[in-house]
Amino acid sequence: MNKTEQPILKTSPAAGVAGATATGIESGNRALLKYLAGMALAFLPFVLLVEDAHWLNIIAFTYLMGGLAAAWNIIGGFGGQFSLGHGVFFGIGAYLAARLYVAYDLSPWITIIPCALFAALVAVLISWPTFRLRGPFFAIATLAFNEVAFVIANHFESVTGGPRGIMIPFKAGFANMIFRERWQYAVLMFVFLALVIGITVVLRRSRLGYYLLAVREDEDAARASGINVLSVKLQGMALSAGLTAVGGTLFAMYLRFIDPPTIFNLQEVGVKFALLSLIGGVGTVAGPLLGAALIIPFENFLRAELANALPGMNLAILGLLMVLAALFMKRGVVGAWRDLMLRLRPKKGGEK
Amino acid sequence: MDQILNVLVFGLLLGGIYGLVSIGLNLIFGVVRIVNFAQGELVMFGMYGSYYAYAQFGMSPYVSVLVVAPLVGLLGVAIQRLVIQPLHNESNMQIFATFGLLMLFQNIMLAVSKGQALSIGGEVGANVLTVGDIRISVVRLVTLVATTLITIGLHLFLRHTMTGKSIRAVTQDKRAARVMGINVERTFLFTFGIGAALAGMAGALLTPIYSITPAVGGNFILAAFAVVVLGGLGSVWGAYIGGLIVGVVEAFAGYYIDPALKNAIWFIIFLVVLMVRPSGLLGQVGAEEVGFREQN
Repeated sequence: MNKTEQPILKTSPAAGVAGATATGIESGNRALLKYLAGMALAFLPFVLLVEDAHWLNIIAFTYLMGGLAAAWNIIGGFGGQFSLGHGVFFGIGAYLAARLYVAYDLSPWITIIPCALFAALVAVLISWPTFRLRGPFFAIATLAFNEVAFVIANHFESVTGGPRGIMIPFKAGFANMIFRERWQYAVLMFVFLALVIGITVVLRRSRLGYYLLAVREDEDAARASGINVLSVKLQGMALSAGLTAVGGTLFAMYLRFIDPPTIFNLQEVGVKFALLSLIGGVGTVAGPLLGAALIIPFENFLRAELANALPGMNLAILGLLMVLAALFMKRGVVGAWRDLMLRLRPKKGGEK
Repeated sequence: MDQILNVLVFGLLLGGIYGLVSIGLNLIFGVVRIVNFAQGELVMFGMYGSYYAYAQFGMSPYVSVLVVAPLVGLLGVAIQRLVIQPLHNESNMQIFATFGLLMLFQNIMLAVSKGQALSIGGEVGANVLTVGDIRISVVRLVTLVATTLITIGLHLFLRHTMTGKSIRAVTQDKRAARVMGINVERTFLFTFGIGAALAGMAGALLTPIYSITPAVGGNFILAAFAVVVLGGLGSVWGAYIGGLIVGVVEAFAGYYIDPALKNAIWFIIFLVVLMVRPSGLLGQVGAEEVGFREQN
C-alpha cells in the first residue's frame, strides 16, 4: 500500500479519502475489488425482490437517483462546487432525447450520447462565467439557471410541449428503450449506476480527481501550485453534467411523460441530487449510492403512508432530515462510519 | 405614452413589493452574510399569520402586522440559534440546512392547509386610485410607501444606533468586533431576528395582494436574492433601487415581450450582474468577499 501523506484532506469535514484508514491511498486492485463488491451488494436487492413489481419500481428509481447523485458528486462533492442547477442538465437529457424520439423517431440509444455531449457543452458555457463566483453566490446563480430553464421549457411549446409536456407513446422494444417489464428497467438503471460509480472510482484516483480535491480544499493554494483552476472545474462540471443528462434521458424513457414541473422541480430533482450525496457522504465514492439507498425507499414509504392524509408531509420530513444532516452528519453515513472505524482501530503512527 | 407610463407605474409598484420582501434578506444575506433560502417561507408565515388574524378576529393586516412580525422574528431567532449558529463559516452547509428548512416549512403548511389557496384581497385589494389616465392600486401604493419608510428606518438604524454599528462591525471583522467588546453571537441572533421579522412584516403587508399558498415563498426567494445582489450586498439603498429595477424590468418585459418570459429576463439580468459586477450596482467593489472569509 502506498503510504503517501495527504494532510490537506484531513482539514475539511467533507473530505473523503478513498481508504477506510485516513493515512494512505489504496492500490488499484483493492479499489477495483471494493467497487465490484459494492456493485454486487447494490444488485442484491434486485435479485431478491425481482418478483415484486412494487419493489422493482423503487429499486429501479433508487439505482437511477443513486447514479444521478453520484454524477452530481463529481463536481459538487469532489470539486466542492455546490451546484443546485443540475436540473438544467437533467432536463436537457430528458427533453432532447424525448423530443428526438417522438418527432424524428430517433432511438434514445443513438441520441443518448449526443444529448450528454450537448449538456456538457451547455454546462461549460454557463459555468464559464459562473465559476468566478464562490460559495453561496455560485449556488444562487445555479439556482437561477434552473429557474430560467423552467421558464424556457414552459414557454417554447413547439420544442418542449410547454406546460402540457411531452408524452412518449408506449411502443415496447429494446430499440426504443421502452420495456414491457419493470425488471428490464431496473437492469438498465443499474447499468447506469454502475457506469457512473465506475467513472467516479477511476476519477478519484486520476489526476483530474486530485486536482478537483485540491481546488475544493483551497482554491488559491491550488492555483499557486500551478493548477488551472477554471479548466479543472469546467472539466469536472462537463463530466458531471453529461452523466446527469444520461440519467435525464433514462428518466424520460422510464416515465414516458415529462413536463417542466417534474423536470425542473428543485425539491424533487435539482436539490435532491445534492441531498442524497449529503446524506450518504459528500465527496466520497459510495456516499451518493448509500444516500439514495436510504432515502428513496424511505421517501416512497412516506409518500405511500402520508401523502393522502397529509400532503407534502413526506417532503417536510426530508427537509427536516436535510437540516439534521447538515448539522450533525456533515460527512454523511460514510463519514460517520469512518469515524467509528478510526475510533475502534488502534491509531497508526503518533500524530492524529 | 400613457401605455408606457402605466407600465412604468405598475413596475415601480411591483418593485416596491420586491423591495419589501428583500429588506429582511438584505439584512441577513447582504449585511451579515448568512445564506437563508428559507426567507421566502418566513414571508409565507407572515401571510398565513395575518390571514388567520383576519379570518378569526377580523383584524386588518395593517394591524395584525404588529403581532405577526415579532412572532416571525422569534422564529428567526430560533432558526439562528439552532441551525445557523452551529454552521457559521460553512456557507455550503447553510445552503443545505436552510433549503431543508424551506422544504420543511413549505410542506408543513401544505399539510396543514391541504394546499388550499387563501385570499383576503377581494375587499381591501380592489381599491384603485386614478390619476389622469394612470391607475394605481391602493394596497400596492401602501406597500411602496411602507418599503420606502422601512428602508429609511433601516438605514438610520444601521448608521446611527450602537446596535446598528455593532452589526456592521461584526460583518466587517468578527475578531476585531469581539476585541472591541461586541457580543458577536448576540449580534447575529438579533440581526437574524430583525431580518426574519422584516420578512414577516412583508408577508403581512402583502396579504391583500397575493393569494396565499404554501408555495408562495418561491415567488419571492430568488427575486429577493436577485434584488440584494443587484443592488449591492450590504447597501440598504441598493436593495431598494434593485427592487425597483427588478419590478420595472419585469413590468416592461411582461408587457412588451411576453408575460411568460418576464421572470427569465430579469433572472438573466441578475446573472449578468452577478458575473460582471458581483458587488452589485451600489455595493463597494470587493464587498461580496467580506464576511465570507474564514474568521473565528
